Amino acid sequence: MPFLRRLLIVEWSGLAVAIVLGSVLLAVLTPNFMTEYNIYVMLRSFCVGLLVGFAQMVTLGVGQMNISVGAIGGLVAISFGGMMEALGVPLVLAVPLAIAIGALCGLINGVLTARTGINGFIITLATASAFTGINLGITEAIPFYNMPAALVAFGDERFFAFPYLLIAPIIVTALLMLFFARTVPGRQLLAVGGNPHAADLSGISRERTIVLAHVLSGGLAAIAAVLAVAQLGSAQPSIGADWLLLSFAAPIIGGAALTGGYVSVVGTTLAVILIALIENGMVLANVDPYWVQFLLGALILAAVWLNRWRAVKTGTD
Amino acid sequence: MTSVNRSGFPAAIGVFAIAATALATGALASDNKIALIPGGPHPYFAPWEQAAADAQKDFDIAAVDFKVPAEWKLNLQTELLESLAAQGYSAFGIFPGDSVGINSTVTELQSAGLPSAALAGCAQDPTDMAFCLGTDVYNSAYIGTKELIKAMGGKGNIVHLAGLLVDPNTTLRVKAVETAVEETNGEVTLLQTVADTDAQEAADQKISALLAAQKDEIGGMIATGYIPSVVASKLLRTLGDKRIKFIGIDDDQIVLKAIEDGFVAGTMAQNPYGQGYIGAYALDLLASGDCTMKEDAPWIETPQTARFIDSGTMVINLDNIASYKDDLKAITADIQGKFKDTYMTCS
Amino acid sequence: MSETTGPASPVRNRRPFLGGASGQVGLLAIVAIFWFIFSTLAPGFLSSFNLYALGRSLAVDIVIGFSQMVVLATGGMNLAVGSIGVCAVMAAGFLLQDLGLPISVGFAGALLLGGALGWLNGFAIVKTGVNAFIITLASASLFLGAMLILTKAVPYNGLPPEIGAFGRARLFGIVSPLLIIAIAIGAALVVLYRFTALGRQILAAGANPRAAAMSGVPVDRVIVISHVLSGMLAAAAGLMVVTRLGAAMPATGGEEWLLPSFLGPVLGGTLLSGGSVAVIGTMIGAALVTTIRSGLLVLQIGNFWLQLFLGLILLFAVLVDRYRSVYAERRSVGVKS
Repeated sequence: MPFLRRLLIVEWSGLAVAIVLGSVLLAVLTPNFMTEYNIYVMLRSFCVGLLVGFAQMVTLGVGQMNISVGAIGGLVAISFGGMMEALGVPLVLAVPLAIAIGALCGLINGVLTARTGINGFIITLATASAFTGINLGITEAIPFYNMPAALVAFGDERFFAFPYLLIAPIIVTALLMLFFARTVPGRQLLAVGGNPHAADLSGISRERTIVLAHVLSGGLAAIAAVLAVAQLGSAQPSIGADWLLLSFAAPIIGGAALTGGYVSVVGTTLAVILIALIENGMVLANVDPYWVQFLLGALILAAVWLNRWRAVKTGTD
Repeated sequence: MTSVNRSGFPAAIGVFAIAATALATGALASDNKIALIPGGPHPYFAPWEQAAADAQKDFDIAAVDFKVPAEWKLNLQTELLESLAAQGYSAFGIFPGDSVGINSTVTELQSAGLPSAALAGCAQDPTDMAFCLGTDVYNSAYIGTKELIKAMGGKGNIVHLAGLLVDPNTTLRVKAVETAVEETNGEVTLLQTVADTDAQEAADQKISALLAAQKDEIGGMIATGYIPSVVASKLLRTLGDKRIKFIGIDDDQIVLKAIEDGFVAGTMAQNPYGQGYIGAYALDLLASGDCTMKEDAPWIETPQTARFIDSGTMVINLDNIASYKDDLKAITADIQGKFKDTYMTCS
Repeated sequence: MSETTGPASPVRNRRPFLGGASGQVGLLAIVAIFWFIFSTLAPGFLSSFNLYALGRSLAVDIVIGFSQMVVLATGGMNLAVGSIGVCAVMAAGFLLQDLGLPISVGFAGALLLGGALGWLNGFAIVKTGVNAFIITLASASLFLGAMLILTKAVPYNGLPPEIGAFGRARLFGIVSPLLIIAIAIGAALVVLYRFTALGRQILAAGANPRAAAMSGVPVDRVIVISHVLSGMLAAAAGLMVVTRLGAAMPATGGEEWLLPSFLGPVLGGTLLSGGSVAVIGTMIGAALVTTIRSGLLVLQIGNFWLQLFLGLILLFAVLVDRYRSVYAERRSVGVKS
């Protein structure tokens, strides 16, 4: 079974197996799982989560972390909605502006961490508070309601089971894979994360690379925010408020090292799919609400254990 | 928002004249500083800002301020309360960040001679809150479910979209919906309760999945939280489904629009403006030391507290969507006008 | 992760002992400056009511920070502090209200439960070799879920009145007994890490597990012990909240504790990569944040904008601290040459 063996050596294969097992189980248990509409619902629900995971993944890659992903998301969401509703900026202009705002937030994070050498955890925790403060100060917690029809349609409509919203994450995923596998800055980013001193010696600018990672992170969080606005149909100030844990969970379950230098775009994607599957499955299977939390933990643990077991068996630990 | 409230007000001016005469005869220009404090930043409380400003002017109070905790966390709310007490505020209108957890702080304020009242939602007895003016969460969920069952023609399957499980109010709402369903003797079944829908994105995910799983079996849905109401209204519109009856809570624009367009059957109105306005009025009287709460007033007893005053619970549907704001204003004026005589003993 | 892992981990520029101490003095100076500014601008800041309230919320934050710090020392982390905290809270409620046990027994039971849950974390991490982040992320959900299943999220508000009275007690008019407890726990931790073999083993295992194992440190056992300690500290923080509120409520802890638990230790100079602790630094770090928050509230800055100012001032404070220490380093280098 050389093929199976080769497959098992791939580090995310445990996650893939868990997803397949879970899907089969749900398809047998609940007739509605495999309906076109439910597949659409699941695909649509994982778009934002995936970009949130990526936003953290790029900072983890360089050996940093970004506590402010959610805060950037919230600030971008309301700036995006606000500039369209209050200032009348057209959609085609608002999207790039929104991403630019996210990247600018990332730039602030990056410059502050790289220049001062202060732990990125503290810097981004402080900026997270500042970004959220601007968000609440502008909105006083009241959302912007009137989003352009085209944006709302983009968030809702589908081609059979394929939500249009999914187009953005697919493009981003492809670009990120290309970035890490084929481009110089992508490899430098991981090199700095893996061994900063060696990277220094080989002439890579550590400061520039860290800034780059934070700018990317901010930009990705901004795309996630734009998608969230499209999905919800209004620019809610609370967007991003619960992104923090997911943003770390997805890349790390997907195999990224907390210490930097290693990330997996495919692994992160599979982790987000797994989490979306578990959450969808629990509603479909009509799980008692008091059991939802418990099962969520148990299933994540089971999936991780499966992956671990695979690693031990194949000796790729 | 400001202009809406102001332009609507002349309608109620006649009733406020009563207040004016009361002012002329009773305590004049108080030097009390009153704070109205929600559980955290939330659109529901936006009318409190106007209510505070109006109350300050109408009742000639030194200050009525709307103060918002930085995040929706109980410890930030209690820190804010303690800090305001240290700055010389004399009375507090509080939406309890947690209906049990708020009580120790209220007790401390009380022992420092600073009265508090629960506004919008109640604190759990035993409590030192002078009274609770707001929505009886149990009753509101119960009436909402009844309304839903009526809209469904008395039978069918319903689902309940509930809020945070760790919030004691959620437990009460779950019980209320279950009770209303049980009273139909099997005509209506509660298919499923989906909880923890208090964040926009989680709500979108869960309610979408719920519709995917059983939209053909579901005859009706009831939401007992602000956010699931908004999200479900939006999703039903997207789905284009007018067969599923839905009762939400609160009057977010998205919900009201969906009622107008026929995607939502109705929503349980609350009276945030009135809660803030009357709350400030009553707290001013309490803080002046001239008045105390009556023991034998016509209090309503709820599962949470024995000192409940209904600030106006009503269903908004197509029939009254244009006029409900005026109805609430009339209720506000009515409660405010009678408040002192009905609930207080004044020297 | 890949097969080529193995080369010695990059040299970590660990702060020398004295550098750490001077860092803490610097942070303390910044806290003192903030106290001066706030009390000058807003007389209410130094009122006994405010000082008392400030000390009491600080006490809980300090212990939450300790609960994370003891695991950071081993190079791990514990995302389940909030979940363990709420489990202990509800356990205390159950033991005291439903079973009617004496307060000391109820609290001891809650602490034991916290330790046991911490042991489960440590055991799972050591046995599976999966990193602490994932294990404790999953267990946070498991513990919270088990609490919901068992209690149905119904709070206990009929606890013995002595508990609430203790939470409201004032020593010398301004000091909460909770703050004294937090400081006592800090003192015990200083003793543990400075003066006991176990403490030194924990730090050695955190700094370089392989080297520590070779020199005879039982690395796995040390990690499990740290998690047990973390669980007990989380439970202690939960019990402090119980005395503060006079009730056991299911919304205590949870994710809300996550960021504060890291903030204190990291501000105080604990490395996320393990091998160092700053017990006093954690206390000062927590004090910095509590001071800024309290000061902004007393100054009545912001309302909706408050978080912005909180973030900016925190940023300013860490920048000042950073440049102060860089300056101090340069000077000491200059003296040597």
